[in-house]
Amino acid sequence: MTRLMAISPLLVVALGGVLLMLAEAFSHRREEGDVRHTGPSSELALGTAVTLLAGAIMAAAVWMVGPEKLETLPGLAPYYVADRFTLFFTFTICLGGALAALLAGGYLPEHKLDRGEFYPLLTFGTVGAILLAAAGDLLSLFIALETMSLAVYALTGFRRTSPRSTEAAVKYFLLGSFAAVLLLYGGALLYGATGHTDLAGIRAAIMHPAAAKPANLALVLVAAALILCGLAFKVSAVPFHMWTPDAYEGAPTPATGYMAVAVKTAAFAMMLRVLVGGFGDGALASWAAGWPPVLALLAVVTMTGANLVAGRQESVKRMLAYSSIAHAGYVLVAVATIPRASEEAQASVMYYLLAYTVSTIGAFGALVLCGSRGAEAVSYEDLAGLGKRHPAVAIAFTLFLLSLTGVPPTAGFFGKWYVAKTTIGAGLYPLAIVLLLNSALAAYYYLRVLVYMYMRDPAPGAPIAKPMRSGYVVGALVIAGVLVLALGIWPTTPIELAVQAALTAR
Amino acid sequence: MKALDFGIFALSTLLVLGGGLGTVASKNPIRSAIALLVSILGIAGMFLLLAAEFLAAIQVLVYAGAVVVLFLFVIMLLGPAAQSPADARSAISRYLGAATFLLSATGVLALVLRATKGATTTLATQPAGFGTIEAVGKELFTSSIAPLEFSGALLLVAIVGAIAVARGKQPDPTLAVATPKGEEPEAAPEKAPSRRPTPKEAHS
Repeated sequence: MTRLMAISPLLVVALGGVLLMLAEAFSHRREEGDVRHTGPSSELALGTAVTLLAGAIMAAAVWMVGPEKLETLPGLAPYYVADRFTLFFTFTICLGGALAALLAGGYLPEHKLDRGEFYPLLTFGTVGAILLAAAGDLLSLFIALETMSLAVYALTGFRRTSPRSTEAAVKYFLLGSFAAVLLLYGGALLYGATGHTDLAGIRAAIMHPAAAKPANLALVLVAAALILCGLAFKVSAVPFHMWTPDAYEGAPTPATGYMAVAVKTAAFAMMLRVLVGGFGDGALASWAAGWPPVLALLAVVTMTGANLVAGRQESVKRMLAYSSIAHAGYVLVAVATIPRASEEAQASVMYYLLAYTVSTIGAFGALVLCGSRGAEAVSYEDLAGLGKRHPAVAIAFTLFLLSLTGVPPTAGFFGKWYVAKTTIGAGLYPLAIVLLLNSALAAYYYLRVLVYMYMRDPAPGAPIAKPMRSGYVVGALVIAGVLVLALGIWPTTPIELAVQAALTAR
Repeated sequence: MKALDFGIFALSTLLVLGGGLGTVASKNPIRSAIALLVSILGIAGMFLLLAAEFLAAIQVLVYAGAVVVLFLFVIMLLGPAAQSPADARSAISRYLGAATFLLSATGVLALVLRATKGATTTLATQPAGFGTIEAVGKELFTSSIAPLEFSGALLLVAIVGAIAVARGKQPDPTLAVATPKGEEPEAAPEKAPSRRPTPKEAHS
C-alpha cells in the first residue's frame, strides 16, 4: 500500500476519471437541444473538479510526507519519476484542470454543448499531463504527450456543429501530429547516438565521451534540434505558434482555458525534463554551442511577436490566445537562464507557471461569465459599458487582467519580477530588458479591455454581452481570484517550495 | 550472409522511400493508400533485419492488414469527395518550401556524414530469441510494464475522443453560411422548451 503512495496523485485522477466515465454512461443522458440548465453533466463537472482537486491535494500530501522516503513500485523508475518536481507540476496542472472543469460546468449547458464526454477527456488529458511532467524516459514521455494531445484535439473539436471549431481541431491535430513526429524522430536519433532512451542515461552518455560507447555528438545535435522543434511547438513559441490562435478561438472557452493552462504547464515541465535532465550539461548546455542561445532567441521572438500581434486583435478570446503565447515567451526567458542560474531559474519557471495558471484560467473564466447564449462576449465592443451594467463581473475580469499585466499586488507581478531578477542575476541584461519592455507593451492590450469595460458606452443597437448565471463559473472565479491575490501577497512560500522542487529534479 | 543482409536492407529502403514518395506525390487517394502499404511492408523488412520478427509480423498484420484497409474503406465511402482539390498555394510558396526543406536536409546530412566518416557503429549482438513473442511479452510485462499501462490511458482517451467527435447531431452544411458574430450555427431551431426527455427517448 505504501508503495502506491508515491504515485497516488496520478492514481486518484485516473481512477476518478474512470468512475466519472461509468457514472456518465449509466446516468440518463439528455438530448443536446434540451434547455434545462442543470443536469447530470453539471454534477459531472463538480465530480471532475473534485477529482482533480483531490489529485492536487494528494500531491501536496505526498510532498509533506516526502517523496524521497517513499518506496516506489519496481519498474516504475525511469518511466515515472516520483520526485518533488513532479509533485509541484502535478499540483499546478490539477489546479488548472479543476478550474477548467468548473468553467465547463457553467459553459456547456449554457451553450447547449452538454455532452458528458467533455469531462473524461479533461480528466484523462490531465492524466497525460501529469505523466508528461513525471516522464524520465523518452518512451513514456511520448506516450504521455500523445495522451494529453489526443484529449485536447478532441476538446478543440467539441463544438461539432461549428465549422470553425472543426477547422481548428483539424489544424491543431495535423500540426500537432507533425510536431510529435519531429519529437519522436529526435528521440530515435538520440537513441541511435547514445544507446539510451532514459534521460539520465542520455545525459551520462553525452557527458562522458570516454565511456565504452561514446555518444555521436553530431547525431545528438541533430536530435536535439528536432526535439527542440517539437517542444517549441507544444509550448507555442513563435515560429511554431501558427496553430495557437485558431485552436484557442475555435475551442469552447473552458477547453481553451485548459489548453492555455494545463497543457502549456505540462509542455514546459517536459521541456525542463528534457533540457535539464537530458541535455543538462556539457557542450549542449553551453552558451557557445548549445540550446541556451536558441531558447533565448525563441524567447525574444515569441514575446515581441506575440505582443505586437495581440495588440491588433479585435476578438478578446484571440487576444488572450496571443497573450498566452507572449507568456510562453516570458517563461522561455527563464528557461534560457537555467545553465547560468540552475535552481533559481527553474524555480522561477515553476512559480511563473503557477501564477500564470490562476490568472489565465481566471481571465478565460471571466470571459465565459461575461457572455450568455446568443450574446457571447467575443469582441471588445461586446464588453463596452460592462463595468456599469455588471460591476461584479467587470471587477473579476479586471483583477485577472491586472495579474496578466503584472501589476503589484497580484501573482503575475511576482512571476515576472522573479523571472527578471533571475535573468539579471545571471548577467543576461539584454534578455531582462526585452522582457520588461514587452511587459509594458502587453499592458496596452490588457488595459484596452478595461477601457472598454469602464469608459465606453455601447453603441445604440449594437450587440452587447449579457453575463450568464452559473454557480460553477462564479466558484471557479472566486478560487482563482483568491489564489491570484494570495500568491501575490505571500509569494515567498511558493517560491521556496519551487526551489525545493528544482533541487530534487537534478 | 552479409550480402544477404545488405540485399534485404537495400530492398526495404527502396520500398520505404518509394512508397513514401508515392504516398505524398500521387493525386489519386487509392494510389496513395497502396503506396503507403508498400512503405509499410518495407518497414516490416527493416524490423526483420533488426531481429525483431514479432514486430515485423505485427507491422504487416496491423498496419498493412487493418489500417490501410480502413483507409481504403474510408476513401471508397467518400467517393469523389476524397479527391483533393487543386493545390491552392502559389508556385513560389511551394518551391520555397521545397528549397527550405532540401537545404536543411542536406545540411543535416552533411553534418552527420562528416561526423561519422569512417566510423561505423556496430550494435551489440542480440541474445538468442530476442525478437520472439516470448521475449517481447516478457519485456512488456516486466521491465516496461509502466509504459504499457500508460498506453492504456492513451487508448482510452482515443476511444472517448473518437466518440466525442462522432456522436450526436451532424453539422448541417446549409447552416454554415453567414453566421453572425459570436453565434455559432449550432444554434439550431430550438426544441419545445422544458420538455424533459423520458429515459426511453434519451436512449433511442
